[in-house]
Amino acid sequence: MTELSMTVNGVVRRAAAAPTVLLSTFLRESLKLTGTHVGCDTSQCGACTVIVDGRSIKSCTMLAVEADGAAITTIEGVAKSDGTLHPVQEAFRAHHALQCGFCTPGMVMASVALLAHTPNPTDAQVRHGLEGNMCRCTGYQNIVDAVLAASQSMKGA
Amino acid sequence: MTEHARFGKSQVRVEDQRFLTGQGRYIDDVNRPKQKHAAFVRSPHAHARVVTMDVSAARALPGVALIVTGAEWAARGFGPLPCRSPSKVNRDGTPFKEPTRHCLASDTVRYVGEPVAMVVAGTADEARRAADAVIVEYAELASVTDRAAALGDDAAQLWPEVPNNLCLDFEQGNRAAVEAAMATAKHVVRLDMGNNRLTAVPMEPRGAIADFDAATGQYTLVNCSQNIHANRDLMASMLKIDKAKLHHLAPDIGGGFGAKNSVYSEPVVMLYAASKVGCPIKWIADRTEAFLSDTHGRDQQSTVTLALDEHGKFLALHVDTVGNVGAACGTMGPFTPTGGTARTTGSVYAIPAILYTSKAVFTNTVQTDPYRGAGRPEAVFHVERIVEFAARTLGIDPVALRRQNLIKTEQLPYKTAVGLEIDCGDFPAVMERVLAMSDRPGYAARVATSRAKGLRRGFAVTPYLETSGGAPHEEARLAFRADGTVVLSVGTHSTGMGHETALAQIAADTLGIDLTRIRFVQADTDATSIGGGHGGSRGIEVGGSAVLKVARMVIEKARGIAAHLLNSHVDDITFKAGVLSDTKTGQSVALDAVIAAAGDTSRLPQDMSAGALDTTAKFERETYTVPNGAHACEVEVDPETGVIAVDKFWCVDDFGSVINPMLADGQVMGGIVQGLGQALLEEVVYDPQTGQLLTASLLEYALPRADHVPRMEIAFFEGAPTKRNPLGAKGSGEAGCCGATPVIVNAVLDALHEYGVRHIEMPLTSEKVWSAITGASA
Repeated sequence: MTELSMTVNGVVRRAAAAPTVLLSTFLRESLKLTGTHVGCDTSQCGACTVIVDGRSIKSCTMLAVEADGAAITTIEGVAKSDGTLHPVQEAFRAHHALQCGFCTPGMVMASVALLAHTPNPTDAQVRHGLEGNMCRCTGYQNIVDAVLAASQSMKGA
Repeated sequence: MTEHARFGKSQVRVEDQRFLTGQGRYIDDVNRPKQKHAAFVRSPHAHARVVTMDVSAARALPGVALIVTGAEWAARGFGPLPCRSPSKVNRDGTPFKEPTRHCLASDTVRYVGEPVAMVVAGTADEARRAADAVIVEYAELASVTDRAAALGDDAAQLWPEVPNNLCLDFEQGNRAAVEAAMATAKHVVRLDMGNNRLTAVPMEPRGAIADFDAATGQYTLVNCSQNIHANRDLMASMLKIDKAKLHHLAPDIGGGFGAKNSVYSEPVVMLYAASKVGCPIKWIADRTEAFLSDTHGRDQQSTVTLALDEHGKFLALHVDTVGNVGAACGTMGPFTPTGGTARTTGSVYAIPAILYTSKAVFTNTVQTDPYRGAGRPEAVFHVERIVEFAARTLGIDPVALRRQNLIKTEQLPYKTAVGLEIDCGDFPAVMERVLAMSDRPGYAARVATSRAKGLRRGFAVTPYLETSGGAPHEEARLAFRADGTVVLSVGTHSTGMGHETALAQIAADTLGIDLTRIRFVQADTDATSIGGGHGGSRGIEVGGSAVLKVARMVIEKARGIAAHLLNSHVDDITFKAGVLSDTKTGQSVALDAVIAAAGDTSRLPQDMSAGALDTTAKFERETYTVPNGAHACEVEVDPETGVIAVDKFWCVDDFGSVINPMLADGQVMGGIVQGLGQALLEEVVYDPQTGQLLTASLLEYALPRADHVPRMEIAFFEGAPTKRNPLGAKGSGEAGCCGATPVIVNAVLDALHEYGVRHIEMPLTSEKVWSAITGASA
């Protein structure tokens, strides 16, 4: 077991992890942040996407020990501390961009990272940017619309 | 003034707050103190005898608490997995074949992934390692996974009592009339077509936590299931316990689409094991386990024959199908490829004679069971492909041929030749509307633009109809708390469709209260006495009708209380917008005041006591509704590579009265994209020689992604609300995949017409399309 320390959603968190433990497992089981979901075993579905040092990462592709010292944002840390939703979360709600909600944390994290790098994306750029995140419920259109709307509302912010 | 939820209004969802902030509670987020973990030993062979099983090494591993083997399961005498197929009689009147399937196989395994033992250990890793250490010696047998091959005399036989693997030899319709029409018709066109084997792939894999309280003898199963009440009854029966001793409930569910409907082995064995080890047991499927063990869908091969007269009028339709039901009967057994497909055969067309014949066969594959549509998408595919093919063969405009043969509005109500009673709709108006949306005048220019880029553009329009399904009964309860909360409990089950909002809208609007006051409870055998769960797009039309009924019953009671409070006669009390008024005296009392009084026996009429407003209603649907609509799309095909892009997509749906258009839109779009998946991408593949599952992860099974999907334009036709339920609603959940699959395939074949390509089997992968182009033009 290795003692790990990382800043998760703005708070320094310390816990021990075996060298084989995935970051997704570490977040869910050691830190009890169950908003990060696991939908496959092959890094295809993207439900476990979190932001590590400013980059969106499928947390099942990374060992917890690799994230030692990193700054991580999970779905639990996207809204403001007063509960105000992030513009991406707000847009997902307004545009009915979620149904069962299982892919949603990963979709929101991937969208937040996408807009950080591409603040004014086209429809095609959003679709390409979210290509690594699967949704079986929505047919994606409302997700794309939500991300485009969030890009506009973030511009005004 | 409070803004009330209203029918017909897009209302953002109340459940989204928790889903958007990581506070959803799915099965893997649920944990119990002192829980242990289960792992399953599954067959690596498609067909084999179990010669020996040695669990001694596994039992010695760290943390192992219990191993349940197939032999022990058989010795305990538990009941077999149930089959509830509504279709169970062969065409000669004899019963279908229903071989006995147990939760754990003991002597023979019949598909890759069939469970043979379960291990319980302290952690999930320990359980997995111990499961891997169970040594099973198998004697391999010949296998068959292909639907058509299974019927052959030389094919491997799965069950000694089932010759030629024939589960059900089904027939519905009028054979004599069809044969007579076929014999004399001017034109008879015939086409062979498959419906590829699919799997639902809800993004959340299955899982459960089973618990047993030795002091009370009470079992509790928290289960990632979309069919809580019915499966409680069936599982209790299998375990030979009183169903009152099994509390079955579901947390948030990450999608279902049918794959979480069936009774599965794992939770049943876990319940037994929980009673043995005396602590809760948790199991979460990994994705490969889901591919191996979730029920699959579709997997039909059909010969479709259409007879037409010299003017293009349809005279008769015969669909002859072989449907793969897997290694044994699933919970719905052979229903999908038999009665499930027969019921809507012929779709929206006036066809005087229809015959649906079908053979449901066993193969060395996991069970098939309802997947979104459960036969209705197949039925629409059959007729829309043969109509398109007939138009091409006879040189008739495909749109004109459809227009000519649609059931006309003045023919409604109409009983189809397979017995479907269509009460209302306007099929011509719906199809014309989608044609109007699809900018036909601009099409020629788009074709030219595509061609200039080296691409070929194709168009198709496809009307569809389907029928709702699922359990006809439903229950809803309203209970009023002192803090103003109104608890709405229902037996329906949202696995993502948004009932927490849509059903609450119905209750809130009827009662004239704010939506935020409603606390929604579903999927819990302690919350309602019955429940049909989710299936057959029944949530709004059956569940919503039960909610409307219970809310109206509450108002009736409230009128009585108001009369007492106002010293009025109940006949003089009216209810409007949350206020009960005496029409004679002009006095009034707010519903909230009545709710408060209802908690105090001293303020109630003598025949009422505290809690008088708490009400339970049961609703029973007399017959199914007939949702319908029309899809249109344009595709671009690159003839150099065979790559298809669906460029434009339009859709008009008749769901009767729409409660929440935003949610209905979402249902349609999700369904369309699953239909696109069937048409272009998805296929479960078993190796024909070994029976191994080749598509056992998301690396091999191609799910639609954001960049596969066109922008969809959706409109609702609300001119024909049904009278079959008080809401006027027709089920919306499965419509999308009924229309999308054939319209995309037909549009691709339209694009490829100049190459002489007349049919390609789904999924239309670029390799198949390229081969068809090069083969046809070679």
